[in-house]
Amino acid sequence: MAKDRSNANDFTGPLRRLLLAVLILILGAIFLLWRIDSPRVERFRAQITDSIIPNMDWALAPVTGTVNLLRDYQSYQRLADQNQELRSELRQMQAWKEAALQLEQENARLLDLNKVRLDPRLTFITGVVLADSGSPFRQSVLLNVGARDGLVDGWATMDGIGLVGRISGVAQNTARVILLTDASSRIPATIQPSGQRAIVAGDNSAAPPIDFLESPDLVRPGDRVISSGDGGVFPAGLLIGQVAADPGGRLRVRLAADNERLEFLRVLRHYGTEDVTDTAQVVSDAPPVSGEGPVTEATEVVIE
Amino acid sequence: MTELSPMRLWLMRGGFVLLALVIVFFHILPLDTQPTRWAGPDLILAFACAWSLRRPDYVPPLLLAVVFLIADLLLQRPPGLLALLALIGCENLKSRGRSLRDATFAVECLTVAVVITFILVANRIILALVLVDVPGLSLTLSELGMTLLVYPLVVAITHGLMGVRKAAPGDLDTTGQRI
Repeated sequence: MAKDRSNANDFTGPLRRLLLAVLILILGAIFLLWRIDSPRVERFRAQITDSIIPNMDWALAPVTGTVNLLRDYQSYQRLADQNQELRSELRQMQAWKEAALQLEQENARLLDLNKVRLDPRLTFITGVVLADSGSPFRQSVLLNVGARDGLVDGWATMDGIGLVGRISGVAQNTARVILLTDASSRIPATIQPSGQRAIVAGDNSAAPPIDFLESPDLVRPGDRVISSGDGGVFPAGLLIGQVAADPGGRLRVRLAADNERLEFLRVLRHYGTEDVTDTAQVVSDAPPVSGEGPVTEATEVVIE
Repeated sequence: MTELSPMRLWLMRGGFVLLALVIVFFHILPLDTQPTRWAGPDLILAFACAWSLRRPDYVPPLLLAVVFLIADLLLQRPPGLLALLALIGCENLKSRGRSLRDATFAVECLTVAVVITFILVANRIILALVLVDVPGLSLTLSELGMTLLVYPLVVAITHGLMGVRKAAPGDLDTTGQRI
Protein backbone atom coordinates (compact mmCIF):
# COMPACT_ATOMS: atom_id res chain seq x y z
CA MET A 1 0.00 0.00 0.00
CA ALA A 2 2.84 2.27 0.83
CA LYS A 3 4.15 1.69 -2.65
CA ASP A 4 0.84 2.74 -4.19
CA ARG A 5 0.91 5.95 -2.29
CA SER A 6 4.42 6.89 -3.28
CA ASN A 7 3.54 6.26 -6.92
CA ALA A 8 0.56 8.53 -6.64
CA ASN A 9 2.79 11.15 -5.09
CA ASP A 10 5.16 11.20 -8.02
CA PHE A 11 3.19 13.93 -9.74
CA THR A 12 2.01 15.98 -6.82
CA GLY A 13 5.07 15.56 -4.60
CA PRO A 14 7.52 18.02 -6.21
CA LEU A 15 4.77 20.54 -6.85
CA ARG A 16 3.66 20.37 -3.25
CA ARG A 17 7.22 20.75 -2.04
CA LEU A 18 7.69 23.78 -4.28
CA LEU A 19 4.50 25.36 -2.91
CA LEU A 20 5.71 24.72 0.62
CA ALA A 21 9.09 26.28 -0.09
CA VAL A 22 7.44 29.34 -1.63
CA LEU A 23 5.14 29.70 1.37
CA ILE A 24 8.06 29.43 3.80
CA LEU A 25 9.98 32.04 1.82
CA ILE A 26 7.01 34.41 1.80
CA LEU A 27 6.42 34.07 5.54
CA GLY A 28 10.11 34.53 6.28
CA ALA A 29 10.18 37.58 4.02
CA ILE A 30 7.18 39.08 5.86
CA PHE A 31 8.92 38.59 9.19
CA LEU A 32 12.17 40.14 7.94
CA LEU A 33 10.28 43.03 6.38
CA TRP A 34 8.56 43.60 9.73
CA ARG A 35 11.91 43.58 11.47
CA ILE A 36 13.46 46.01 8.99
CA ASP A 37 10.56 48.34 8.29
CA SER A 38 8.26 47.87 11.25
CA PRO A 39 6.04 50.98 10.81
CA ARG A 40 5.00 49.96 7.31
CA VAL A 41 4.04 46.43 8.34
CA GLU A 42 2.34 47.72 11.48
CA ARG A 43 0.27 50.03 9.29
CA PHE A 44 -0.63 47.02 7.18
CA ARG A 45 -1.56 45.16 10.36
CA ALA A 46 -3.74 48.07 11.46
CA GLN A 47 -5.53 48.00 8.10
CA ILE A 48 -6.12 44.26 8.30
CA THR A 49 -7.43 44.66 11.84
CA ASP A 50 -9.56 47.55 10.67
CA SER A 51 -11.15 45.46 7.96
CA ILE A 52 -11.81 42.39 10.13
CA ILE A 53 -12.58 43.43 13.70
CA PRO A 54 -15.36 46.01 13.12
CA ASN A 55 -17.21 43.27 11.23
CA MET A 56 -17.11 41.13 14.35
CA ASP A 57 -18.46 43.96 16.46
CA TRP A 58 -22.04 42.71 16.36
CA ALA A 59 -20.87 39.55 18.09
CA LEU A 60 -18.07 40.96 20.25
CA ALA A 61 -20.27 43.37 22.18
CA PRO A 62 -23.04 40.95 23.22
CA VAL A 63 -20.63 38.14 24.13
CA THR A 64 -18.52 40.50 26.22
CA GLY A 65 -21.68 41.82 27.85
CA THR A 66 -22.97 38.34 28.63
CA VAL A 67 -19.70 37.21 30.18
CA ASN A 68 -19.50 40.37 32.25
CA LEU A 69 -23.10 39.83 33.36
CA LEU A 70 -22.25 36.33 34.54
CA ARG A 71 -19.20 37.62 36.37
CA ASP A 72 -21.25 40.32 38.02
CA TYR A 73 -23.74 37.68 39.07
CA GLN A 74 -20.95 35.76 40.77
CA SER A 75 -19.89 38.89 42.53
CA TYR A 76 -23.44 39.41 43.83
CA GLN A 77 -22.98 36.28 45.87
CA ARG A 78 -20.39 38.13 47.88
CA LEU A 79 -22.85 40.94 48.38
CA ALA A 80 -22.88 40.92 52.16
CA ASP A 81 -19.10 41.16 52.44
CA GLN A 82 -19.03 43.84 49.83
CA ASN A 83 -21.70 45.79 51.63
CA GLN A 84 -19.65 45.78 54.79
CA GLU A 85 -16.53 46.90 52.95
CA LEU A 86 -18.41 49.63 51.16
CA ARG A 87 -19.82 50.97 54.40
CA SER A 88 -16.42 51.38 55.96
CA GLU A 89 -15.10 52.87 52.75
CA LEU A 90 -18.02 55.27 52.66
CA ARG A 91 -17.16 56.56 56.10
CA GLN A 92 -13.64 57.34 54.94
CA MET A 93 -14.95 58.87 51.76
CA GLN A 94 -17.23 61.25 53.60
CA ALA A 95 -14.25 62.70 55.39
CA TRP A 96 -12.46 63.06 52.09
CA LYS A 97 -15.51 64.56 50.45
CA GLU A 98 -15.58 67.27 53.05
CA ALA A 99 -11.92 68.03 52.40
CA ALA A 100 -12.46 67.97 48.66
CA LEU A 101 -15.35 70.41 48.84
CA GLN A 102 -13.31 72.86 50.83
CA LEU A 103 -10.42 72.53 48.42
CA GLU A 104 -12.72 72.93 45.44
CA GLN A 105 -14.06 76.19 46.79
CA GLU A 106 -10.59 77.41 47.51
CA ASN A 107 -9.43 76.39 44.07
CA ALA A 108 -12.34 78.14 42.40
CA ARG A 109 -11.56 81.30 44.33
CA LEU A 110 -7.88 81.16 43.39
CA LEU A 111 -8.63 80.45 39.74
CA ASP A 112 -11.00 83.38 39.71
CA LEU A 113 -8.34 85.63 41.21
CA ASN A 114 -5.86 84.40 38.65
CA LYS A 115 -8.24 84.66 35.68
CA VAL A 116 -6.90 81.28 34.59
CA ARG A 117 -8.29 79.88 31.37
CA LEU A 118 -7.73 76.14 31.21
CA ASP A 119 -6.30 74.98 27.92
CA PRO A 120 -9.31 75.03 25.60
CA ARG A 121 -7.62 72.83 23.05
CA LEU A 122 -7.38 69.87 25.37
CA THR A 123 -10.70 68.42 24.28
CA PHE A 124 -11.36 64.74 23.98
CA ILE A 125 -13.00 62.08 21.84
CA THR A 126 -14.60 59.14 23.60
CA GLY A 127 -14.23 55.70 22.10
CA VAL A 128 -15.54 52.26 22.97
CA VAL A 129 -13.13 49.38 23.54
CA LEU A 130 -13.77 46.86 20.76
CA ALA A 131 -11.14 44.24 21.51
CA ASP A 132 -7.96 43.66 23.43
CA SER A 133 -4.62 42.46 22.13
CA GLY A 134 -5.70 38.83 22.34
CA SER A 135 -2.40 37.58 23.67
CA PRO A 136 -0.88 37.69 27.14
CA PHE A 137 2.37 38.97 25.65
CA ARG A 138 1.03 42.35 24.58
CA GLN A 139 -1.14 44.82 26.47
CA SER A 140 -3.24 46.91 24.16
CA VAL A 141 -6.87 47.58 23.31
CA LEU A 142 -8.61 48.48 20.09
CA LEU A 143 -10.92 51.54 20.03
CA ASN A 144 -13.75 52.15 17.61
CA VAL A 145 -12.47 55.61 16.69
CA GLY A 146 -9.77 56.18 14.12
CA ALA A 147 -8.40 58.46 11.44
CA ARG A 148 -12.01 59.19 10.47
CA ASP A 149 -12.38 60.99 13.80
CA GLY A 150 -9.08 62.81 13.43
CA LEU A 151 -7.01 60.63 15.73
CA VAL A 152 -3.26 60.95 15.53
CA ASP A 153 -0.54 58.57 16.71
CA GLY A 154 0.82 59.44 20.13
CA TRP A 155 -2.25 61.02 21.69
CA ALA A 156 -2.92 60.26 25.33
CA THR A 157 -5.81 58.04 26.34
CA MET A 158 -7.55 58.16 29.71
CA ASP A 159 -10.40 56.48 31.45
CA GLY A 160 -12.43 58.68 33.77
CA ILE A 161 -9.61 59.02 36.30
CA GLY A 162 -6.14 58.27 35.07
CA LEU A 163 -3.93 57.77 32.08
CA VAL A 164 -4.44 54.44 30.34
CA GLY A 165 -2.04 54.56 27.43
CA ARG A 166 -1.08 56.08 24.15
CA ILE A 167 -2.49 55.75 20.66
CA SER A 168 -0.22 53.67 18.48
CA GLY A 169 -1.53 52.57 15.13
CA VAL A 170 -4.45 54.44 13.60
CA ALA A 171 -6.56 52.95 10.84
CA GLN A 172 -9.64 54.44 9.21
CA ASN A 173 -12.19 53.22 11.75
CA THR A 174 -10.10 51.83 14.59
CA ALA A 175 -7.11 52.81 16.64
CA ARG A 176 -4.90 50.75 18.92
CA VAL A 177 -4.04 51.96 22.41
CA ILE A 178 -0.77 50.65 23.87
CA LEU A 179 -1.48 50.39 27.60
CA LEU A 180 0.97 51.67 30.22
CA THR A 181 1.49 48.06 31.28
CA ASP A 182 2.78 46.95 27.87
CA ALA A 183 6.47 46.09 27.71
CA SER A 184 7.06 48.70 25.01
CA SER A 185 5.39 51.62 26.81
CA ARG A 186 7.58 54.47 28.12
CA ILE A 187 5.94 57.58 29.55
CA PRO A 188 7.84 60.58 30.98
CA ALA A 189 6.42 61.42 34.39
CA THR A 190 6.81 63.77 37.31
CA ILE A 191 6.50 62.55 40.88
CA GLN A 192 4.72 64.94 43.20
CA PRO A 193 5.41 66.52 45.65
CA SER A 194 9.18 66.17 45.18
CA GLY A 195 8.91 67.14 41.51
CA GLN A 196 11.36 64.50 40.30
CA ARG A 197 11.38 63.44 36.68
CA ALA A 198 11.23 59.76 35.82
CA ILE A 199 10.06 57.34 33.17
CA VAL A 200 7.17 54.96 33.75
CA ALA A 201 8.32 51.89 31.85
CA GLY A 202 5.81 49.09 31.34
CA ASP A 203 7.04 45.53 31.83
CA ASN A 204 3.95 43.40 31.27
CA SER A 205 2.99 43.49 34.94
CA ALA A 206 0.01 45.20 36.54
CA ALA A 207 2.14 47.90 38.18
CA PRO A 208 4.82 49.36 35.86
CA PRO A 209 8.18 50.20 37.49
CA ILE A 210 9.66 53.70 37.65
CA ASP A 211 12.90 54.10 35.73
CA PHE A 212 15.59 56.79 35.54
CA LEU A 213 14.78 58.26 38.92
CA GLU A 214 17.50 60.63 40.06
CA SER A 215 17.23 60.35 43.83
CA PRO A 216 14.86 57.63 44.96
CA ASP A 217 15.26 58.80 48.56
CA LEU A 218 13.01 61.75 47.87
CA VAL A 219 10.20 59.53 46.67
CA ARG A 220 7.90 57.82 49.10
CA PRO A 221 5.19 55.24 48.46
CA GLY A 222 1.90 57.07 48.08
CA ASP A 223 3.34 59.98 46.12
CA ARG A 224 1.33 61.00 43.08
CA VAL A 225 2.74 60.27 39.63
CA ILE A 226 1.60 62.56 36.81
CA SER A 227 2.70 62.89 33.21
CA SER A 228 5.40 65.51 32.76
CA GLY A 229 4.85 66.44 29.14
CA ASP A 230 8.54 66.08 28.39
CA GLY A 231 9.15 65.51 24.73
CA GLY A 232 5.97 67.30 23.80
CA VAL A 233 4.08 64.17 22.82
CA PHE A 234 1.90 64.06 25.90
CA PRO A 235 0.06 66.85 27.64
CA ALA A 236 1.49 67.49 31.09
CA GLY A 237 -0.36 66.94 34.33
CA LEU A 238 -2.39 63.81 33.57
CA LEU A 239 -2.73 61.56 36.60
CA ILE A 240 -0.92 58.24 36.14
CA GLY A 241 -1.14 56.77 39.62
CA GLN A 242 0.56 56.41 42.97
CA VAL A 243 4.03 55.26 43.86
CA ALA A 244 4.20 51.87 45.55
CA ALA A 245 7.20 49.79 46.56
CA ASP A 246 7.19 46.11 45.64
CA PRO A 247 8.62 43.49 48.02
CA GLY A 248 11.99 43.77 46.28
CA GLY A 249 12.12 47.44 47.18
CA ARG A 250 11.67 48.58 43.60
CA LEU A 251 9.43 51.58 43.07
CA ARG A 252 6.39 50.95 40.91
CA VAL A 253 3.30 52.87 39.91
CA ARG A 254 -0.08 51.67 41.05
CA LEU A 255 -2.16 52.90 38.14
CA ALA A 256 -5.09 55.19 38.83
CA ALA A 257 -6.97 53.90 35.80
CA ASP A 258 -9.02 50.76 36.31
CA ASN A 259 -7.30 48.47 33.83
CA GLU A 260 -9.37 45.51 34.85
CA ARG A 261 -12.38 46.64 32.92
CA LEU A 262 -11.80 49.19 30.20
CA GLU A 263 -15.02 50.07 28.41
CA PHE A 264 -14.95 53.69 27.36
CA LEU A 265 -11.73 55.61 26.84
CA ARG A 266 -11.11 59.29 26.28
CA VAL A 267 -8.57 60.23 23.66
CA LEU A 268 -7.19 63.69 24.42
CA ARG A 269 -6.64 65.90 21.41
CA HIS A 270 -3.18 67.33 21.75
CA TYR A 271 -1.38 69.32 19.11
CA GLY A 272 1.88 69.66 20.98
CA THR A 273 3.22 72.67 22.77
CA GLU A 274 4.12 75.56 20.50
CA ASP A 275 7.78 76.40 20.21
CA VAL A 276 8.78 79.93 21.11
CA THR A 277 11.45 80.70 18.56
CA ASP A 278 11.66 84.49 18.48
CA THR A 279 12.21 85.53 22.07
CA ALA A 280 15.56 87.07 21.15
CA GLN A 281 13.72 89.68 19.11
CA VAL A 282 11.77 90.85 22.09
CA VAL A 283 14.81 91.18 24.30
CA SER A 284 17.39 92.55 21.85
CA ASP A 285 16.99 95.55 19.55
CA ALA A 286 17.61 93.54 16.44
CA PRO A 287 15.00 94.25 13.76
CA PRO A 288 12.56 91.37 13.13
CA VAL A 289 13.45 89.11 10.28
CA SER A 290 9.93 88.63 9.02
CA GLY A 291 6.52 90.00 9.92
CA GLU A 292 5.76 92.70 12.39
CA GLY A 293 3.79 90.74 14.95
CA PRO A 294 6.51 90.35 17.59
CA VAL A 295 7.48 94.03 17.41
CA THR A 296 3.99 95.36 17.95
CA GLU A 297 3.54 92.96 20.83
CA ALA A 298 6.81 94.12 22.31
CA THR A 299 5.89 97.77 22.00
CA GLU A 300 2.53 97.08 23.59
CA VAL A 301 4.32 95.53 26.49
CA VAL A 302 6.55 98.56 26.78
CA ILE A 303 3.61 100.95 26.64
CA GLU A 304 1.77 99.07 29.36
CA MET B 1 -17.58 9.70 7.42
CA THR B 2 -16.93 7.30 4.58
CA GLU B 3 -18.11 9.84 2.05
CA LEU B 4 -15.17 11.87 0.87
CA SER B 5 -16.53 14.04 -1.88
CA PRO B 6 -14.77 17.28 -2.89
CA MET B 7 -17.73 19.03 -1.32
CA ARG B 8 -16.94 17.57 2.06
CA LEU B 9 -13.24 18.33 1.60
CA TRP B 10 -13.90 22.02 1.05
CA LEU B 11 -16.46 22.05 3.82
CA MET B 12 -13.88 20.76 6.26
CA ARG B 13 -11.28 23.23 5.02
CA GLY B 14 -13.75 26.04 5.55
CA GLY B 15 -14.52 24.52 8.92
CA PHE B 16 -10.89 24.82 9.95
CA VAL B 17 -10.79 28.51 8.97
CA LEU B 18 -14.01 29.10 10.89
CA LEU B 19 -12.60 27.30 13.92
CA ALA B 20 -9.47 29.46 13.86
CA LEU B 21 -11.56 32.63 13.55
CA VAL B 22 -13.74 31.59 16.50
CA ILE B 23 -10.62 30.99 18.62
CA VAL B 24 -9.22 34.40 17.65
CA PHE B 25 -12.61 35.94 18.41
CA PHE B 26 -12.57 34.62 21.95
CA HIS B 27 -8.97 35.72 22.37
CA ILE B 28 -9.69 39.33 21.53
CA LEU B 29 -12.78 39.74 23.71
CA PRO B 30 -11.91 42.69 25.93
CA LEU B 31 -12.79 40.86 29.14
CA ASP B 32 -9.66 41.39 31.14
CA THR B 33 -7.08 43.95 30.16
CA GLN B 34 -4.85 43.34 33.17
CA PRO B 35 -1.51 41.68 32.46
CA THR B 36 -1.54 38.04 33.57
CA ARG B 37 1.28 35.95 34.99
CA TRP B 38 0.58 32.94 32.84
CA ALA B 39 -0.53 32.39 29.29
CA GLY B 40 -3.32 30.19 27.99
CA PRO B 41 -2.82 27.44 25.43
CA ASP B 42 -2.25 28.18 21.77
CA LEU B 43 -5.41 26.42 20.63
CA ILE B 44 -4.97 27.16 16.93
CA LEU B 45 -1.59 25.44 16.95
CA ALA B 46 -2.98 22.44 18.86
CA PHE B 47 -5.90 22.05 16.45
CA ALA B 48 -3.61 22.45 13.45
CA CYS B 49 -1.37 19.65 14.77
CA ALA B 50 -4.31 17.37 15.50
CA TRP B 51 -5.84 17.94 12.05
CA SER B 52 -2.49 17.59 10.28
CA LEU B 53 -1.96 14.17 11.81
CA ARG B 54 -5.48 12.99 11.09
CA ARG B 55 -6.44 14.43 7.76
CA PRO B 56 -3.57 16.24 6.02
CA ASP B 57 -5.80 17.00 3.05
CA TYR B 58 -8.14 19.09 5.22
CA VAL B 59 -5.32 21.47 6.11
CA PRO B 60 -3.21 22.13 3.00
CA PRO B 61 -0.06 24.24 3.48
CA LEU B 62 -1.55 27.35 1.87
CA LEU B 63 -4.54 27.26 4.25
CA LEU B 64 -2.30 26.79 7.27
CA ALA B 65 -0.04 29.65 6.22
CA VAL B 66 -2.93 32.05 5.67
CA VAL B 67 -4.70 31.13 8.92
CA PHE B 68 -1.54 31.47 11.02
CA LEU B 69 -0.54 34.71 9.32
CA ILE B 70 -3.95 36.27 10.03
CA ALA B 71 -3.75 35.04 13.62
CA ASP B 72 -0.29 36.62 13.89
CA LEU B 73 -1.62 39.91 12.59
CA LEU B 74 -4.73 39.98 14.75
CA LEU B 75 -3.07 38.81 17.96
CA GLN B 76 -0.25 41.37 17.85
CA ARG B 77 2.52 38.84 17.35
CA PRO B 78 5.53 39.49 15.12
CA PRO B 79 3.91 38.70 11.76
CA GLY B 80 5.15 35.69 9.86
CA LEU B 81 7.48 34.10 12.35
CA LEU B 82 5.13 31.86 14.30
CA ALA B 83 3.23 31.19 11.05
CA LEU B 84 6.47 30.02 9.43
CA LEU B 85 7.43 27.74 12.31
CA ALA B 86 3.92 26.35 12.73
CA LEU B 87 3.78 25.59 9.01
CA ILE B 88 7.10 23.72 9.14
CA GLY B 89 5.96 21.86 12.27
CA CYS B 90 2.63 20.83 10.77
CA GLU B 91 4.21 19.70 7.51
CA ASN B 92 6.66 17.66 9.55
CA LEU B 93 3.74 16.05 11.38
CA LYS B 94 2.00 15.33 8.09
CA SER B 95 5.03 13.50 6.80
CA ARG B 96 5.03 11.36 9.92
CA GLY B 97 1.27 10.87 9.77
CA ARG B 98 1.42 7.53 7.96
CA SER B 99 3.82 5.98 10.40
CA LEU B 100 1.88 7.32 13.36
CA ARG B 101 -1.43 6.08 12.01
CA ASP B 102 -1.19 2.75 13.74
CA ALA B 103 0.73 3.97 16.77
CA THR B 104 -0.83 4.49 20.16
CA PHE B 105 -2.09 7.83 21.36
CA ALA B 106 0.83 8.20 23.78
CA VAL B 107 3.29 8.07 20.90
CA GLU B 108 1.27 10.65 19.01
CA CYS B 109 1.19 12.91 22.07
CA LEU B 110 4.92 12.62 22.47
CA THR B 111 5.57 13.46 18.82
CA VAL B 112 3.27 16.46 18.95
CA ALA B 113 4.91 17.59 22.20
CA VAL B 114 8.31 17.52 20.54
CA VAL B 115 7.06 19.47 17.53
CA ILE B 116 5.22 22.12 19.60
CA THR B 117 8.22 22.54 21.89
CA PHE B 118 10.41 23.00 18.83
CA ILE B 119 8.04 25.64 17.43
CA LEU B 120 7.87 27.71 20.62
CA VAL B 121 11.55 27.41 21.49
CA ALA B 122 12.63 28.28 17.95
CA ASN B 123 10.23 31.23 18.01
CA ARG B 124 11.88 32.53 21.15
CA ILE B 125 15.41 31.96 19.91
CA ILE B 126 14.79 33.68 16.58
CA LEU B 127 13.14 36.64 18.31
CA ALA B 128 16.17 36.97 20.58
CA LEU B 129 18.52 36.65 17.58
CA VAL B 130 16.91 39.53 15.68
CA LEU B 131 16.87 41.59 18.88
CA VAL B 132 13.12 41.77 19.39
CA ASP B 133 12.04 41.99 23.04
CA VAL B 134 11.27 38.44 24.10
CA PRO B 135 8.33 38.00 26.50
CA GLY B 136 8.95 36.65 29.99
CA LEU B 137 10.11 33.06 30.23
CA SER B 138 7.23 32.14 32.55
CA LEU B 139 4.74 33.25 29.87
CA THR B 140 6.34 31.13 27.14
CA LEU B 141 6.72 28.11 29.42
CA SER B 142 3.14 28.32 30.64
CA GLU B 143 1.92 28.64 27.06
CA LEU B 144 3.91 25.54 26.12
CA GLY B 145 2.71 23.59 29.14
CA MET B 146 -0.93 24.56 28.68
CA THR B 147 -0.83 23.71 24.97
CA LEU B 148 0.58 20.25 25.70
CA LEU B 149 -1.93 19.68 28.51
CA VAL B 150 -4.87 20.71 26.38
CA TYR B 151 -3.80 18.63 23.37
CA PRO B 152 -5.63 15.41 24.38
CA LEU B 153 -8.80 17.46 24.85
CA VAL B 154 -8.30 19.05 21.43
CA VAL B 155 -7.90 15.58 19.93
CA ALA B 156 -11.08 14.44 21.66
CA ILE B 157 -13.00 17.38 20.21
CA THR B 158 -11.44 16.88 16.79
CA HIS B 159 -12.21 13.18 16.82
CA GLY B 160 -15.59 13.21 18.53
CA LEU B 161 -17.34 16.45 17.67
CA MET B 162 -15.85 17.34 14.32
CA GLY B 163 -15.48 13.84 12.97
CA VAL B 164 -11.91 14.36 11.81
CA ARG B 165 -10.53 10.87 12.23
CA LYS B 166 -7.50 9.05 11.07
CA ALA B 167 -8.01 7.38 7.76
CA ALA B 168 -8.50 3.68 8.22
CA PRO B 169 -6.66 1.35 5.87
CA GLY B 170 -8.79 0.99 2.79
CA ASP B 171 -10.44 4.40 2.95
CA LEU B 172 -10.51 6.32 -0.29
CA ASP B 173 -9.29 9.86 -0.67
CA THR B 174 -11.00 12.50 -2.77
CA THR B 175 -9.58 11.29 -6.03
CA GLY B 176 -10.85 7.81 -5.36
CA GLN B 177 -7.45 6.39 -4.59
CA ARG B 178 -6.52 4.36 -1.60
CA ILE B 179 -4.94 6.34 1.16
